[in-house]
Amino acid sequence: MEDEAPHVQVKFFTKQKQYSVPDTPFSVPADVDSKQLSRETEGSGDDSDQQVEFDFLLDGVFLRSSLGNILEEKDISFETVVELEYVERQPAPRPENSLVHDDWVSALQAAGQNILSGSYDNTIRLWSTEGEPLMTIPGHTAPVKCVAWIHQGEGEETSTFVTGSHDQTALLWRWHGDSNEVDCVHACRGHAGSVDCVAVGPTREKMCTGSWDKMLKLWSADCSTEEEQTDDTDRPNKKKKSSGFKTQTRVPILTLSGHSEAVSAVHWMDEKTVVTSSWDHTLRLWDLQQAVQSSLMQGSKVFLDISYSTLNGLIVAASADRHVRLYDPRSKDGAVVKCSFTSHTGWVVGVDWSPTREHLFISGSYDTVLKLWDSRSPKAPLYNMSGHEDKILAVDWSAPELMLSGGADNHLKIFHHSNTSPT
Amino acid sequence: MNKPADASRSGSASEDESESASEESVYSGLEDEPDTSSDEKEENNQGDDGDQLPDEYVEDSSDEEDIRNTVGNVPMEWYRDYGHLGYDVTGSKVMKPKHGDELDEFLDKMENPNYWRTVTDKMTGQKMVLDDGDLEMIKRIQKGAHPSTSENMYEPWVDFFSSETMIHPVTNRPADKRSFVPSKWERLKVGQMVHAIKMGWMKRREEKKSKEEEEDPFYMLWKDDEEPDITKRYRQHIPAPKLPLPGHAESYNPPPEYLLTKEEEEKWKEQEPEERRQNFIPQKFSALRKVPAYDRFVNERFERCLDLYLCPRQRKMRMNVNPEDLIPKLPKPKDLQPFPTTEAVVYKGHTDMVRCVCPDPSGQWLATGSDDNTVSNTTVLIVNPGLVDKLLVSNTDTLVMSFEDSQDAPAEKKVPVDWIASDLNLEDYKTGLRLKVEHPKEISQVTWHAKGDYFATVMPKGESMSVLIHQLSRRRSQNPFSKSKGLVQRVLFHPVRPFLFVATQRFVRVYNLLKQQLTKKLQTNCKWVSSMDVHPGGDNVIIGSYDCRLSWFDLDLSTKPYQTLRHHKKALRQVAFHPRYPLFASASDDCSIIVCHGMVYSDLLQNPLIVPVKVLRGHTAKNSVGVLDCHFHPTQPWIFSAGADGTARLYT
Repeated sequence: MEDEAPHVQVKFFTKQKQYSVPDTPFSVPADVDSKQLSRETEGSGDDSDQQVEFDFLLDGVFLRSSLGNILEEKDISFETVVELEYVERQPAPRPENSLVHDDWVSALQAAGQNILSGSYDNTIRLWSTEGEPLMTIPGHTAPVKCVAWIHQGEGEETSTFVTGSHDQTALLWRWHGDSNEVDCVHACRGHAGSVDCVAVGPTREKMCTGSWDKMLKLWSADCSTEEEQTDDTDRPNKKKKSSGFKTQTRVPILTLSGHSEAVSAVHWMDEKTVVTSSWDHTLRLWDLQQAVQSSLMQGSKVFLDISYSTLNGLIVAASADRHVRLYDPRSKDGAVVKCSFTSHTGWVVGVDWSPTREHLFISGSYDTVLKLWDSRSPKAPLYNMSGHEDKILAVDWSAPELMLSGGADNHLKIFHHSNTSPT
Repeated sequence: MNKPADASRSGSASEDESESASEESVYSGLEDEPDTSSDEKEENNQGDDGDQLPDEYVEDSSDEEDIRNTVGNVPMEWYRDYGHLGYDVTGSKVMKPKHGDELDEFLDKMENPNYWRTVTDKMTGQKMVLDDGDLEMIKRIQKGAHPSTSENMYEPWVDFFSSETMIHPVTNRPADKRSFVPSKWERLKVGQMVHAIKMGWMKRREEKKSKEEEEDPFYMLWKDDEEPDITKRYRQHIPAPKLPLPGHAESYNPPPEYLLTKEEEEKWKEQEPEERRQNFIPQKFSALRKVPAYDRFVNERFERCLDLYLCPRQRKMRMNVNPEDLIPKLPKPKDLQPFPTTEAVVYKGHTDMVRCVCPDPSGQWLATGSDDNTVSNTTVLIVNPGLVDKLLVSNTDTLVMSFEDSQDAPAEKKVPVDWIASDLNLEDYKTGLRLKVEHPKEISQVTWHAKGDYFATVMPKGESMSVLIHQLSRRRSQNPFSKSKGLVQRVLFHPVRPFLFVATQRFVRVYNLLKQQLTKKLQTNCKWVSSMDVHPGGDNVIIGSYDCRLSWFDLDLSTKPYQTLRHHKKALRQVAFHPRYPLFASASDDCSIIVCHGMVYSDLLQNPLIVPVKVLRGHTAKNSVGVLDCHFHPTQPWIFSAGADGTARLYT
């Protein structure tokens, strides 16, 4: 009975040198799936001291059903020798910690050993990656919508970060790690709506904020308190007091208008280019040197978040129609959507690329599930990370090992991602 | 015309006696012409045939002459092939006379001076010479006159009873009265005719003729070729339905396979008579003589008669039309994207029915009103939530607070509405409360004018003051209507023009606020209007009613609904247009929101296209109240809904 199934000639190859096998074709039954293949390659592999599981790719797409099905789907003859790439299987992320807030967790970012989170109770919180609460910072007068590290010195004393809020300001903070003191250095005023997103440039000197008032503003991210700046912006009634430090008001360097609806996310692509997503169904690329919009990608639904990866140069965008879409900003013609990832059942409100792995990204949705995706597997996510009891509002994967998600259940969940060797 | 009786008197007595003398001559000369023609003919015959025949005068009188051939009045061709012509009285054959050949004929023609008047008697075969009397008679017949010269067909007419008054009349009766009195019946008849002519029932002859000519200058050339209906019916004869021939099952001794088993028989008995495949149970008899009388005979005859009586008499042209082709082609909902399809967010927090829901103009915030902490139904609160642009917020505050009560008690109509400004120091002010407008009765609806300075309130129990229009900047209220026209359900401002829509239970009145007059009155054809919305273009209005209907009015088209949708199973609570997308929605007590595509074209000739695209569910009913309010997102194709289950929902 078993022998009746057709066999396929398969050749395995890999880019991971330590797992390479000789280039001889194998004959495997067509109804084999990736688990059985993995077992088979284990037997043939030379180092078998530790159990390594593999995932198999056919033409850059993961095998998720039996080989025969995929060959039929792709209309590939069973007679040919099929070349299968194999990579080490991604280990399952491990839930590590859950940090409790007083209200919804609307923004978060990790850097080094610290996690920064913004909440709807108008406070910003600092945590260590172990889950230790370091500081709760009041300062904003309305819910915090976005946080970003500007400078996180590992060995240095001070770190700086920026937060944006519904009170239409973005505040620049300086945190002294040793004494655990925080100063609000600058208040960036200029937006006429809630500051929904902030992104710090790769040089750490500039930052961009996007707001509900449809504007994109470029600010200096310089946190030093120069005396000349204090002269002209000395307005006592607007000052935010935090540990007795005088806050200076900062005005934007540049204001870019173009979106017809609220700007939902902003990301730097290089030193002079940022990409923004908006509720007006567009992604726009802005040239900051010339202060113009350099390119526009039209979508069909509201974009709620985007992420840009410097590793592969692709933009992944989360939209309100439950899909995550992959955009290539370099291609000018035809369909700009390279791929769409459909598995969520609610609005996808957060996406983030892995900082180290080219193909991995996470997405969080109103359906309370955080999903880990491989961009080569568009049909199904690699892992679903549940744990939230209410809507997820923000996700972050800034630290390579930490996948963070914050939700409307007042929790910030930390998932540990054990890094495999890079492909 | 007026004196028709005069006509009878005309020509009554004209006296002329010219012809009275000739009366005698008419009767003279009738008997003086002797009838000699037959005698002369005989003499002629004698003369011709004297050598052949014996003298007839010897034995025969002249009137026996014709009986010589006794065959009677038969065609003489019968004797063509015989030598004789017939038989005489004695029974002997009358032989055919000898005829000469062509030459004899010719010679006869040449020599005989009487040849032209010689004819052959068919009865005897003899030749006869016609005498002058005969010729004269022939000539008279040819002329068309009476054959006999003694007959005069045109004798002068003797008018014995002429109208002329004679000295010695034929009768001496005195004249009737009617001969000199105008006829009464004629007068009546003429009177009738005159009346008929006056009334136009009767036409004079020339009028009739001219009218006919005018009416039908052309006529059907082939009119006679058209078959009358009766001929057509004969041609399309439909034969009476035939009785089916009896089959084996109907035999008195059917083959066993036609007999029913027990189960089949029971099944047959259970079936309705119409459902049965055969209307009898086959039965088996050993001999034909054992077959009993057929009890259904009369029924069967009756049914047959019914069949014949009810059989179709006419061939109907049946249109083979697919009913689906008659439905107008509507685009598929798939092609009409975008529209809300799935429930995205549920807003919990209220503990009682959420009455209303409204997003802010930027779409960032959502305001809901609920039954759970009702303050007072008689107050309009003007609140500045201070959520948007700081500059906008402070400007609004300045505008609201800048009012100065400078004009000293203007003499206007008294409207019992109090404007109470919130004190700057009060706690209420910090929460955003700016103004209170106290009304005497319960308020059911508040609606803003597009410019934001005016707003209107509806007090259903306010009677003549049920609709009030308030001006924010001057803190003034006015009552636009002096008397109530019914129970006001909703009011709406026209988005661009100075119109006010007022929906009462059954009608929607459109008032022009500048001219202060009624412009239009829409007939909703429903029992009780519950909600109303106007298209952002301003030319279309949708009405929702408690009797499950949604009516679309095209104000340019008519005052009756352009289309009525009956998709909901329960009362409609709210209808709403999308401000940007061609969408409208209706919320109902059956816990569903139906989203429809409603495209309005700028081309006036094209009617709006209305396609239901999606039914959104999710709310649950409470106290048989479902969805109470729905409102579209100001910029996205999304819809917010408020339900009796204490939740508001967003569908995207």
